[in-house]
Amino acid sequence: MRGVSVAGIGSTTFGKHGEKAIEVLAVEAAASAIADSGVDDREIGALYLGNFISGVLTGQEVLAGIVGDNLGLANIPCTKVEGACASGGIAFRHAALAIATGQCDAALVVGVEKMTHAPTPDVTAALNCAMDNRADGVSGLTFPGLFGIAWRVHAQRYGTTRDQVSAVVMKNKKNGLRNPLAQMGANLTRELIAASPFICDPLQLYDCCPASDGAAALLLVATDRAPRRKGPRIDVAASVQTRGAARIAGHPDLCSFDATVEAGKRAYEQAGLTAKDIDFVELHDCFSIAEVIDSEDLGIAPRGKGAVWAAEGRTAVGGEIPINASGGLLAKGHPVGATGVGQLYEAALQLRGEHPNQVKDAAIGLTHNLGGTGVACTVNILRRSDA
Amino acid sequence: MPEARVQILRCGRCGTLDAGPRLLCPKCHAAAMEPREVDGAGKLLSWTIIRRAPARLRALQPYAVCVVDLDAGVRVTGRLQSIEGSFTPGARVRCVARESDVAIFTAEG
Repeated sequence: MRGVSVAGIGSTTFGKHGEKAIEVLAVEAAASAIADSGVDDREIGALYLGNFISGVLTGQEVLAGIVGDNLGLANIPCTKVEGACASGGIAFRHAALAIATGQCDAALVVGVEKMTHAPTPDVTAALNCAMDNRADGVSGLTFPGLFGIAWRVHAQRYGTTRDQVSAVVMKNKKNGLRNPLAQMGANLTRELIAASPFICDPLQLYDCCPASDGAAALLLVATDRAPRRKGPRIDVAASVQTRGAARIAGHPDLCSFDATVEAGKRAYEQAGLTAKDIDFVELHDCFSIAEVIDSEDLGIAPRGKGAVWAAEGRTAVGGEIPINASGGLLAKGHPVGATGVGQLYEAALQLRGEHPNQVKDAAIGLTHNLGGTGVACTVNILRRSDA
Repeated sequence: MPEARVQILRCGRCGTLDAGPRLLCPKCHAAAMEPREVDGAGKLLSWTIIRRAPARLRALQPYAVCVVDLDAGVRVTGRLQSIEGSFTPGARVRCVARESDVAIFTAEG
C-alpha cells in the first residue's frame, strides 16, 4: 500500500447559510482545498463525498457528480457515501484507499450538509433515518434519547455527576469562541447549563449539538507525489472503519460503543502507536456524554473517568490530551455529512501549527466520527512527517 | 396488575432469541426466525424521558423509552407506562401492555 498525505484543506463556516444551495457549499470548500494544495486539478482521479440526508432535506441527490461537474473535474468516478453522522469519515477513508491501492494519485474528499432551513420536526424526522426504524424507531427513541439512556448507566456505574459532564460543555463551548468557523462558541456557567430545559433526561439543552449547514474538503495525494510546501508534510497514519450494533438493544454495554473500541484498537495498530502517543483528539461529541464515552472507548481517558478528566482540565487546550480544540460538534456545529471531514480539516490545521486554538507541539492527531446508534464508526490518525 | 407477554423471535434451527425484527438468525444465519411470546418480567437497564418527540409521536410526549433485560434471556427496547415514579437502573419491571408492537413496562409488584 502506498503512503497517503493531506495536500490541501478547505472549509466553509459551520452554522446558518440561509438560501445558499447545498452544492454551492460543497463546491466552495472543495475549490479552496484544491487551491490550498497546489495540485493541478487534472491530477484528481476520484471524488468521494460524505452526505447523510440531502435528498430528504433539500430534494437534491447525486451530489458527488454535481460537485465534480461544478468543479470542472475530468470524467472521474464521483461517489457519494452515507453512514449517518460518520459519512464524512467514511468518504475520507475511501479516498485514502483509492490512493493507497494505486487507483489514482490524488483524490478529493468533500463532506456537506444543509439543515437549518428545515423546520425542527422535519430535521428530527430526517435524523431518525439514521436509526433502525423497525427496531428502535417504533418505541419513540430519538438520538438525544439514546444518549440520555447511556448517561444514566454511566452515572449509576461510575458516579458521574451533572457538574462533571458540564465541564465538557464549558470546555467545548469556550474552545468554539476561538474558532472562526464555529457556530456557537460561548462562555457558559455550571448554573446556566443545569438550569436549561431537559431534552431527554438527564440530557439538557446545552448537552446537545446544534443543527448546522456547512462543508469541508481535503485533497489527498500519494505521499511520493506530494507537492513540496513549507514545513513538514501531513501523512495519513491510519484510517479505519467499523460497524457496530444497528439497534440499541444490540449493544452489550449501553455506555460504550464497540464500533469505537474496535476502530480505535485497529487504528493504533495500523499507525504503530498507542493512545498515549496521540497529541490531540477531535471526537464525536454530538452530546456532552458522547465525548465522555468516546474518550473512554478510544483509551484516551480511563474507563469511567471521561467526565472527571474534563472537570480536572486534562482535556482542555494546555492539558495533557486536548479534546475538541475546535469546539467539537457542541460548539463548532454538526452539519452531519460534513462533520467527519471538518474534524480532519481541524486536525490538519493543528499539525500545520496554524490553528486559531493551537495545541502546542501537535504532531499526531486522531479524529473519531460515529454514526447512527453506533452502527458506523471511523477513526483516522494524521501525523506530521517529522514526528 | 395486568400482565402481558413480550413478542420476540426465536431461531427454529439453533434456538437463539432476538428482539427482532430480523430475517436471518444473528448467530447461525438460518432464515428460520419464528415469532415467540415470552414472559414480560425483567430488569430495567436504563431509560430516558423523551420530551421532544418525532412528529408522529408528538401526541404522546413526554414519554419514557427504556431498555429491559427480560428474564427470558433477551434485551428489548420498550416504553415505561408512566414518566412518574422513581426508578433506578437494575429495578425489576414487568410488561403490562403492548401498544403498536411496543412493550410497555412498569415497576414489578
